[in-house]
Amino acid sequence: MNLATALARLLIFPGLLFAVPAAWFILWVERKAVALMQGRVGPPFMQPFFDFVKLLGKSTPPRPGIGGLLMKAWPLIAVSSAAGAVGLLPVLPSSGGFEGDLILLLALLELPSMCIIAAGFSSRSIFGEIGSAREAVLSVAYNIVFLLAIVSIAASQHTFRLEALAALPATPLRWLGVLALLVCLPAKLHLNPFSLPNAEQEIYSGPMVEYAGPELAMWELSHGLEWVAATGLVATLAAPHIALWWLAALVFIVFSFFIVLGLSALASATARLAIDTTVRFYWQCTLIFAVLAVSSALLMRLRS
Amino acid sequence: MNILTMLWKNLWGGNRTMLFPARPKVNSGYRGLIKFDPEHCTGCAICKFRCTAKAIEFKAGKGEFVWSYDPGQCTFCGRCVEGCIDHALKEGHAEHALTQESECPPVYLTQGELKVSYTVARKSPAAKAAAPKPAAPAPAAGTPQPESAPQSASGGQQ
Repeated sequence: MNLATALARLLIFPGLLFAVPAAWFILWVERKAVALMQGRVGPPFMQPFFDFVKLLGKSTPPRPGIGGLLMKAWPLIAVSSAAGAVGLLPVLPSSGGFEGDLILLLALLELPSMCIIAAGFSSRSIFGEIGSAREAVLSVAYNIVFLLAIVSIAASQHTFRLEALAALPATPLRWLGVLALLVCLPAKLHLNPFSLPNAEQEIYSGPMVEYAGPELAMWELSHGLEWVAATGLVATLAAPHIALWWLAALVFIVFSFFIVLGLSALASATARLAIDTTVRFYWQCTLIFAVLAVSSALLMRLRS
Repeated sequence: MNILTMLWKNLWGGNRTMLFPARPKVNSGYRGLIKFDPEHCTGCAICKFRCTAKAIEFKAGKGEFVWSYDPGQCTFCGRCVEGCIDHALKEGHAEHALTQESECPPVYLTQGELKVSYTVARKSPAAKAAAPKPAAPAPAAGTPQPESAPQSASGGQQ
């Protein structure tokens, strides 16, 4: 992939130009689906866009010193990394990529979470610090499973290249890995029952409590881009390989849409778990399957 | 699984909320907007003193007074209407200046947008005497108020 292709993917498709409207669309689908399942009308189609524009127009109180600068920097870093992660997704067949881009995608997906932790502590609010501590614990809990699932998929298919993974036929181990990824997605996207870091009723959105105006708009955008990247990753691994570009894009969108609907149904049907229950769930229940998947993948690799 | 059944029912069972600007019907306990009738107002300003939400303003002047009402600040408690009834009876009027009508609470975008003001001329003693007598017996006969600087009007300026 040369520089021009990389820039086009990062800035146009499936990067920022595509990903930002897609992020607003996914945020709307999630909010609307949750509302309908709760018997509410839900927001109009353009609401996430209106929210973003409204927040951009608001002024924020000045924060002096390095703390204020850091608070401005974290959401920008989060948006950049999430947009980079979306830019790496092989939405179209033969769209480039390089060996190891899956690892880069995982790193970029993890960066917003790190920024949230740092932002909570930078805000010097007790609610922000509690939220950041929760985010850190949650990140340690689900990331073991998330990374093991990715490793098992990559090891079973002998590649860390996303496009090659998308092109290869799915094996049973890959399906197990995709299932493990799906289990981790609610925690990664701060959805119920793992919405501990941004618990509105307990800690007033946690790390976001001191944010307002354009910085909060950036956090919202970063959250939407995380949705696109995370659901897109699962859709890439789960969707069948199709040579026709428009059909491939359509299948990708349909898969992403149904993943969002499934996660919204889960968020509507469950209540928030306590942090110890969440950690126990990931470390005791899910980790066993992830370790089994990795061991099987490595054994298969040794035998072949 | 019970929660999933509930979600499924919610999904297809219609909405309990509605999109703006649609408004829900008011329930039977709602007391409604304040309606002012300048014909019956004596300018006593009791309503102003009873209004804890400060939705009613009263400014007394020479020969006239200004009565203002801001529905955006009103809590629709009805204390002003109750006060107006008492006063009307004392003054010997069957009707009173304030009533409540159960319309939906109005929508407003800026503070004070719905505020209405009435400039009402004080009635002369002759006009008050010519007013029809009430059907119900009044507890105290109405004393004609002096045209200039009545006690209630000066209270309204506080």
